[in-house]
Amino acid sequence: MRLELQRVNSDYSGFLQLTELAHGTSDLALKAVELDMGAATWVDANMCAPLGAILYRVSRGLNAVRLTHLRAKVRDILAKNGFLSTYGEAKRPDRFGTTIEYMRFEPKDARYFAEYVESRLARKEIPKMSAALLKKFRESIFEIFSNAVIHSETNMGIFACGQFFPGQHRLDFSVADLGIGIQQNLMKKRGIVLSAADAINWATEGKNTTKTGPIPGGLGLKLLREFISLNHGRMQIASDRGYWELTANGQERTDNFPYPFPGTVVNIEINTADTSAYRLTSEPPDDIF
Amino acid sequence: MNEQITLKMYEIVGSELCVASDDGQKVHDEIAAALKAGHAVQLSFANVETVTSAFLNAAIGQLYSSFPSEEVKERLSVTDMDPDDMLLLKRVVETAKEYFSDPQRFEMARREALGEEDEE
Repeated sequence: MRLELQRVNSDYSGFLQLTELAHGTSDLALKAVELDMGAATWVDANMCAPLGAILYRVSRGLNAVRLTHLRAKVRDILAKNGFLSTYGEAKRPDRFGTTIEYMRFEPKDARYFAEYVESRLARKEIPKMSAALLKKFRESIFEIFSNAVIHSETNMGIFACGQFFPGQHRLDFSVADLGIGIQQNLMKKRGIVLSAADAINWATEGKNTTKTGPIPGGLGLKLLREFISLNHGRMQIASDRGYWELTANGQERTDNFPYPFPGTVVNIEINTADTSAYRLTSEPPDDIF
Repeated sequence: MNEQITLKMYEIVGSELCVASDDGQKVHDEIAAALKAGHAVQLSFANVETVTSAFLNAAIGQLYSSFPSEEVKERLSVTDMDPDDMLLLKRVVETAKEYFSDPQRFEMARREALGEEDEE
């Protein structure tokens, strides 16, 4: 079976393509699958996380996946960040140290994930960021991972990948899971029925949470949204048939896909030149409890 | 009152990264045991670099499912915590109080925490 992939950016059209790929491969078993990337003139490196998640699911159906006709520029990026290592290509050295490698984690790997992030952010090539920004970025990534661990109920793992763009002062990072998605989680845990896009919106607002047990929740995605908004960065969430994005000028928009993404993806893009303090008040609270 | 017990986050988690819900659960279980035994508890965040709401929800927010908020306020304190992290903790506490202000949710959480079965 042969499938095609075109340009994959961190936006609606990029995710739309991935949902179509997921749909086209959802029932395959014991097949040879060729993903023809001849028309993919660019792939945002962080989008390797959701792409890798979909292809991992295909491989678990005992299908043999091959990536063909990669353009030189795309091959270079995907070989440097280790994505192509899964498909038999040797990893290329990342001389400029701008990649945060593509990795798959188990939900129990929170500590391992944390070390992965810490070690990549500690490299000397990473653009200088203010201590406050680095702290918020780090926290944000861990919040996304924790969200996937707590809510997705995945047994297929959690996929992560990132990329620095030093010239543009951008740092992009994605976390994808193959779990039940926000819409189904909301229906199952709280009995609330919303469209997939509205379910994502719900999860990013106020103190909404799908948690029902003794551990409260309802902050992870809101903290992310607040931070990215202050940073004038961008954020996208794709979950099931729903798409939600926060633009650099603070606008939010939602959309729907014809076919579902088989889990949830959270992409964040931060502006690394930002020098904001990120403290809501100048003094810490005296009375916490 | 019994003497105050200091729980060191770095020691319990074994790292400067207090980020995982599972690690928060370990902290919670130690705090809950000390509170039940009648002690005041001080949480030391010395040398902790990063905390997340997921960790704090499990470690501290969860306490409000089994202890009255007045008791938590009177007997729990934090030290050596980064001011930004204190703001995060404050939000976690506010969210937890609101979460458990729903009596039905509080009762369900209490039962789940105690491992009780639903009534027939």
